[in-house]
Amino acid sequence: MPAAAAPASAPPGAAPWLAALAGAPLPGPRQEDWRFTDLAVLARIAPHFALSSLRVEASPLPAGIEPLAPDAATELLGSVLETSGSSQHWPVQLNRAAIDQGHGAFLALRICGRVSQPLLLSRLPGGSGLGGTQLVLLLEPGADLELLEVISGEQAEAPASALSSLTVVSVGEGASLRAGMLALGRPGHSLLAHWIAVQEPSSRLAVTTVLGDWDLARFEPRIVQTDGAAETRLRTLQSCRGEQIVDTHSLVRFDGPDGSLDQLHKAMADGRGRSVFRGAVQVPGMAQRTRAAQLSRNLLLSPRARIDTKPELEIVADDVTCTHGATVSCLRDEELFYLQSRGIAAPQASDLLKRAFCEDVLRDLPAEAAGLNPLAHLLDPVGSS
Amino acid sequence: MIIPDAPVLLELRDLQASVDGQPILRGVTLSIRAGEIHALMGRNGSGKSTLSKVLAGHPAYTVTGGSATYLGENLLELPPERRARSGIFLGFQYPVEIPGVSNLEFLRVATNARRQHRGQDELDTFAFEDLVRERLSVVQMDPAFLERSVNEGFSGGEKKRNEILQMALLEPDLSILDETDSGLDIDALRIVAGGVSQLARADSATLLITHYQRLLDLITPDYVHVMAAGRILRSGAKDLALELERSGYDWVDAELARLESAPAPLEVV
Amino acid sequence: MTSTATVGELVSQPYRYGFVTEIETEKIAKGLSEQVVRLISAKKQEPEFLLRFRLRAFEQWLQMPTPDWAAISYPSIDYQDIVYYAAPKQQPKRESLDEVDPKLLETFDKLGIPLSEQKRLSNVAVDAVFDSVSIATTYKEKLAEHGVIFCSISEAVREHPDLVERYLGTVVPSTDNYFAALNSAVFSDGSFVFVPKGVECPMELSTYFRINSGDTGQFERTLLVAEEGASVSYLEGCTAPMFDTNQLHAAVVELVALDDASIKYSTVQNWYAGDESGKGGIYNFVTKRGQCRGARSKISWTQVETGSAITWKYPGCVLQGADSVGEFYSVALTNNRQQADTGTKMVHVGPRTRSTIVSKGISAGHSSNSYRGLVQIGPKAVGARNYSQCDSMLIGDQAAANTYPYIRSQQPDSAVEHEASTCRISEDQLFYLQSRGVSFEEAVSMLVSGFCRDVFNQLPMEFAAEADKLLALKLEGSVG
Repeated sequence: MPAAAAPASAPPGAAPWLAALAGAPLPGPRQEDWRFTDLAVLARIAPHFALSSLRVEASPLPAGIEPLAPDAATELLGSVLETSGSSQHWPVQLNRAAIDQGHGAFLALRICGRVSQPLLLSRLPGGSGLGGTQLVLLLEPGADLELLEVISGEQAEAPASALSSLTVVSVGEGASLRAGMLALGRPGHSLLAHWIAVQEPSSRLAVTTVLGDWDLARFEPRIVQTDGAAETRLRTLQSCRGEQIVDTHSLVRFDGPDGSLDQLHKAMADGRGRSVFRGAVQVPGMAQRTRAAQLSRNLLLSPRARIDTKPELEIVADDVTCTHGATVSCLRDEELFYLQSRGIAAPQASDLLKRAFCEDVLRDLPAEAAGLNPLAHLLDPVGSS
Repeated sequence: MIIPDAPVLLELRDLQASVDGQPILRGVTLSIRAGEIHALMGRNGSGKSTLSKVLAGHPAYTVTGGSATYLGENLLELPPERRARSGIFLGFQYPVEIPGVSNLEFLRVATNARRQHRGQDELDTFAFEDLVRERLSVVQMDPAFLERSVNEGFSGGEKKRNEILQMALLEPDLSILDETDSGLDIDALRIVAGGVSQLARADSATLLITHYQRLLDLITPDYVHVMAAGRILRSGAKDLALELERSGYDWVDAELARLESAPAPLEVV
Repeated sequence: MTSTATVGELVSQPYRYGFVTEIETEKIAKGLSEQVVRLISAKKQEPEFLLRFRLRAFEQWLQMPTPDWAAISYPSIDYQDIVYYAAPKQQPKRESLDEVDPKLLETFDKLGIPLSEQKRLSNVAVDAVFDSVSIATTYKEKLAEHGVIFCSISEAVREHPDLVERYLGTVVPSTDNYFAALNSAVFSDGSFVFVPKGVECPMELSTYFRINSGDTGQFERTLLVAEEGASVSYLEGCTAPMFDTNQLHAAVVELVALDDASIKYSTVQNWYAGDESGKGGIYNFVTKRGQCRGARSKISWTQVETGSAITWKYPGCVLQGADSVGEFYSVALTNNRQQADTGTKMVHVGPRTRSTIVSKGISAGHSSNSYRGLVQIGPKAVGARNYSQCDSMLIGDQAAANTYPYIRSQQPDSAVEHEASTCRISEDQLFYLQSRGVSFEEAVSMLVSGFCRDVFNQLPMEFAAEADKLLALKLEGSVG
């Protein structure tokens, strides 16, 4: 089956500075993983490092959280990347190169026991150029943490910047992590976010991510249940408008039996935006009794926007319950009509429905996220079509 | 009806069984003769349904002790389909839906398997349609259900009628009806009970598993057994059911506690 | 517990069509070159336009890389080690069946496709293709009375060159993909159907493909045109002998439906699948596409894929005409070391176009069964609708079921819905059937065929039972 016309590719040899840094050329549309996500905008970024920060919004660190020794962090990072098969991935290579050369911010934390208050982290690229942040989290067996990462584009109209963000997490046996990532950009800014976790048995991981307002945002959660028997919950909400590209590429692999996955991906594409989703779920032979459900729901709001969605289920074990579904449509006429028939004007009605569409994911973010009013950001267009 | 010296159809001696290593039946002893109607009562989790599944040969249950003899043969050695062909019928509490498999075809294959076992000629499509249309009247079922997939989208009552229709076609020698009355409104209950009574023969027997008296008002049992913790605690005549209806199951706990402290062989009626 | 191993054992049964017919054949030497392409064209006494079509395709093919994205793996094919043309010696095609070599008639008898006047199926016209050529077409005269043309494509090239020239390569251009280019260069025979304006084809049309020769590739080309308001139902079947080498089958099928026309295209594919260890079997790399050119036209694909070592096939519909309808119903059963990568492409171009996809994959043994689909809603497809359902059934824990449903939408006023599930044979359903006296084997077979019911219901009546039987055969160890 030949590919549908691929978007204009990054010119070969684009952003030579980034290619040299990562030690590999930028991936192009000939690679299946990058077919719909054109990295050409990265070529606009000035070839220098931005000042990035990765800040814990608490001082001192709450009880149960302590810094992880640098060598332990490096070892953990290496092994998690290895297990998840991410080390040769271009954005990961880029991130590691930037951090290793001393540019960007690095934070490694060890979590023991139950942490009673949520941990708030802010990642910020400062000024133009490439920013890099790296977070390593070790949840010891039985640890329990709620985490909210806030990533935001520069407030001022700074020249183009890109943030390379890498999160590496090890969730120990019986541990629980509820992680939220609220990533709201600004025109001219791009985000390459990798979120990699390995889960030991009886652990629970819930990752909720909200992406909006980036020229280019690529979010790649990769979760491996090392011996199965863990719970994974993924929620993503992404929106794009104008000429924005927003892309989630998720992969969940079960390397043991009795694991579960509950995944919901939601996307809104307006203007000339492009929304991309690839959701891989891998259930090899040893992963008997896996239960996995994936749903991709997409709202196409403009005739010039485009949605590409591609679930990928690879299943070898026979005693499994796996389902997935995808829908692409605009707002439903019946619902709009119902609201209108109650006296609500059409624009207001469609706004209500879009809000409801978003709320479904937003309510899974840690409560602190509400203060940042993400809804206004997602629905109230900045630089809109 | 109790017929003295009628042949014994089913003979259980200290039957024990477990599921996933968890013992459920802890020694059931029971004898059923041709012509008899037995009611098996007890609270949820007492092992009633397990007994029915074990008798039908469900693969999830492992027999760990005792014996079950059916028409002189060791029942436990037979695969489920052989038990069915030799006349054991289990009416399921929750009949499973099988999308895509035509109800009519399923009924025909099952009927012919039983007929073949009894040395009767298999019925061709036309002859079978005649038979099934005649038997539909037993449960007053709409022929439209024949065209649908097995139990798919049937209401609770329709599923139970479909079970009794299968009973009417297979003409079993021993019918085990597991909570056939559950989830039925009074009209459906009358139809189902009427079907069961109509299908009873002097050379066949019925084991009714139920919670409530209301089915027993329509089908009068010859014997009533009360099950608890995987054993038959008490057996008696139909009055025992009425007594249960009046006084509930509280005495069972006392009886069980007594048994746990001083295990003694149970008296069998 | 019901061991899946027992279910697995049931899925194996000997291939019944593995015999070789001893017949003198005329072959050209192995290998592919411009000379070979010219030779094939010359042997078939083709007009200039077709030779040019072939040569252009050949040049394009030389430039193309082999596709490597499908979830299948196989040793690379040596295209110089294949015979591109083989025909029973006895050319050209006979005017009457009496003149056909009795061995060939006997072969088709054995395959259950009797061709002779007395035994042929009463309401099905059959075109029988043996290796590279069509040896007989039944009921041609009766069809001609209605203006329906049903013949081999070689004959169509001779008798109706204008029609062939007008439509050939217009749905699947020779540049479409590697195997389509190869086919366009070397195709030997296949069927041609033309149903003129307003005609409802009075009987089922069917082509039966038989590979006989061990080192021959089969490259048939089928072209089916339904003019305004015409309708036709067409079925193809295929088998091959058991060889322990692999044979390449790279067909191209093109369907064209004009305004209000309707085409139903069914396939029962039972090529030799190789043995338990994966030795031998057909590589089935096929390009099938229909174009709903006219308003309110409809193209429906139904396929039952049980054979081949490797299947690579995505029958699709380009829904150009307003309100046109595309359908795809598929059952793919793989066992042992078989690999199937199959699905469909529904390309919605015109307004209010609708498509339905129902795919049922059953994987057993060490096989791999992938559904790969594309639903594309173009910017002008206002009001387009698609519904897809893909279910997989796994038998045993060594088989793989993959699902790659890809959706691209550029039209807000449209709705695309996809649902998929993976399951195995339910123990409770199995027990329910057994507790009514149904044997284990029959219960498994009933459940599998129940799983496929939605697809079987789409097959023409004459063949639905056959497909059911074919599946049951594959499932019943005892039947041979």
